[in-house]
Amino acid sequence: MLFNNPDVWEITLLSIKVSGIATLISLLLGLPFGTLLALSKFPGRSLLLTLINTGMALPPVVVGLAVAMTLWRSGPLGGLHLIYTPSAIIIAQVVISAPVVTGLTVAAMQALDPRLLLQLQGLGASRSQTVFTIWREARLPLLAALMAGFGSVISEVGASMMVGGNIRHQTRVLTTAIVLETNKGEFNNAIALGILLLLITFLINFALTWIQQRGVKR
Amino acid sequence: MSIRIELRNIIVHRAGLPVLEIVHLIIKAGRIHALVGPNGAGKSTLLMLLTGLIAPEKGEILINDQPVKDLRDLIYRRRVGLVMQDPLLLNRSVYENIAVGLHFRRIPASEIAGQVENWGSRLGIMHLLARKASTLSGGEAQRVALARVFVLQPELLLLDEPFGELDRKTRLGFLHELKILLPMTSATTVFSTHDEREIEELADYKIELGNGKISASNNV
Amino acid sequence: MKHRLPIAVSALLLFSVLALSACVPAPTIPANPDLILATTTSTQDSGLLDVLIPAFETRTGFIVQVVAVGSGAALKMGEEGNADVLLVHSPTAEKKFMDNDFGTDRRLVMHNYFIIVGPLDDPAGIKTAETAAQAFQKISESGAKFVSRSDQSGTNIMELALWEKANITPTGQSWYVETGQGMGATLTVASELIGYTLTDRATYLANQANLQLDMLYQNDSDLLNAYHVIVVNHEKWPSTNLEGAIAFADFITSTEGQAIINTFGVEEYGQALFIPDAGKTDAELGLP
Repeated sequence: MLFNNPDVWEITLLSIKVSGIATLISLLLGLPFGTLLALSKFPGRSLLLTLINTGMALPPVVVGLAVAMTLWRSGPLGGLHLIYTPSAIIIAQVVISAPVVTGLTVAAMQALDPRLLLQLQGLGASRSQTVFTIWREARLPLLAALMAGFGSVISEVGASMMVGGNIRHQTRVLTTAIVLETNKGEFNNAIALGILLLLITFLINFALTWIQQRGVKR
Repeated sequence: MSIRIELRNIIVHRAGLPVLEIVHLIIKAGRIHALVGPNGAGKSTLLMLLTGLIAPEKGEILINDQPVKDLRDLIYRRRVGLVMQDPLLLNRSVYENIAVGLHFRRIPASEIAGQVENWGSRLGIMHLLARKASTLSGGEAQRVALARVFVLQPELLLLDEPFGELDRKTRLGFLHELKILLPMTSATTVFSTHDEREIEELADYKIELGNGKISASNNV
Repeated sequence: MKHRLPIAVSALLLFSVLALSACVPAPTIPANPDLILATTTSTQDSGLLDVLIPAFETRTGFIVQVVAVGSGAALKMGEEGNADVLLVHSPTAEKKFMDNDFGTDRRLVMHNYFIIVGPLDDPAGIKTAETAAQAFQKISESGAKFVSRSDQSGTNIMELALWEKANITPTGQSWYVETGQGMGATLTVASELIGYTLTDRATYLANQANLQLDMLYQNDSDLLNAYHVIVVNHEKWPSTNLEGAIAFADFITSTEGQAIINTFGVEEYGQALFIPDAGKTDAELGLP
């Protein structure tokens, strides 16, 4: 059946790898940037916040098209030969998930008592110690941001299809494989892959939720 | 260990407008100063300045008679301890909350344990050490906030209306305790308050602020 | 006085609408106007349906929902009664479909030819190949990439048949790229990866401006691409729109429909993209 097919495991692993890396990059970019955005004042701040919030709802297929047009040989970055590689999918997925992680980080940081920063500094915290302390303090909403970021990309198909090309053994991920099976009329296979995708997403979120809820007062 | 601070011709701005103007103020080493005045008079601004969180537009600051350029550096801030109106405890155990400032200063765990026990017992919260900070009552939380600052043995202790949120009875209880505990710290102390009794019982000096300026500064 | 003017205007408008509608002969709205046509992505991508369907709808009053998937999926939809009528181009699979009584009426509609397109400098030198199978062989030996749709579509079936003729197993080879996508997307991939692919002429011409691929092999005799319309078996699936399906099959093989097919593409590409065949037998075209 489907699960004897070695392609399925290859596809699943690639999905997790690509979306996992994209989410991680988004976290590395979004967490510090979101914190900065939430806590400091500078001209253009509200414009930037509006852009990020808009970015949280970018349609993946539009992102895919924009990134594809950049990476095609006819595009400005065509010389990098990234089109139809997993790296291209990662790039597109970072564009999709980074605003999500950033926007939710801003919300998480703004939910903290603003006097907390003053209090921490009044206890002798350095700048980085202050930041790490408030990150730890806001770990619940920050982990939610992480899960939302991951969710936004593990389930998308528009960008993966456009910049990845659904190429067997190279850029085929679970979502694009489901589209393929559906187009072939192999609905049972499509559903099986869909269930597999849901299972993976569930397991990953289960782990993250466990971390999030550890030590929370019931 | 305590600090003497002298402020000359200080002007602090917020959003371009002056909110605090101090011609001359001496905060005497090891003494307890009460900071009084109506809301908006500039009490919190002065405390923020002394904590090293804001800098004045102009003016001179002398620490132990040595002029200092800017109070906003980590070394100075680690000589100071701040208690705010709201305990603002972290979502952790009481023990970890008390230890937080010591962790910032990278004090080893063994030393931390000793200090926590020392001040935890003086403030009567040893039985709470394992509890989550979010489960404490208002009075218990403020005790933890005090312990958190006392363990740091600051040279300058700043308290911004520390009992403002508490009911009368708890306030009185704290008053009597502080009367005993503050001398134990031997720190220079500045606390802001509305309560006449607190001024009478605790303070050596009274600094009156009105409209961002000092209207009086006398012995109590 | 306040209400009289709006009333007068409304009355005038109503009268005008009624008068005008009396002038235009409205098609008798059929009892069940909704019709689902399952067809292939290449047919959709060519743009032919954008002209055919509106003409059909105006003529008959049916409202067509076009679902474009691979030929294999379109046939599956017919097997499961999820479509009323099919327009596909995968003769061998269609024969099996009819043998299993999934369709009740199959008519030849039109044909065009597959072509092999590839990089502008033709590294495999297929321009000089004598048969399509030989062209495939040259590609496999040259090290250049071949991009396959790999989706059980009509194009894909033709492609696999050619590999078999050339005695080559492409799956698993490093130069064989399987996209699992429609013709337009596969052409883009071939263009980006600088490889060869098999395509129908219509889709290629429609996308030519965005591609860096040339028509390199177009010997018609072994690359025939024939389209049939099939009415789904209403007895097997009573919920299908038999009236609409027959109406569509009739229209697409009628003089009007065939005229649309005959002229489609001439203005834009200088050549018709499809050659109308209604009324001919499969044998006449050389089909099995």
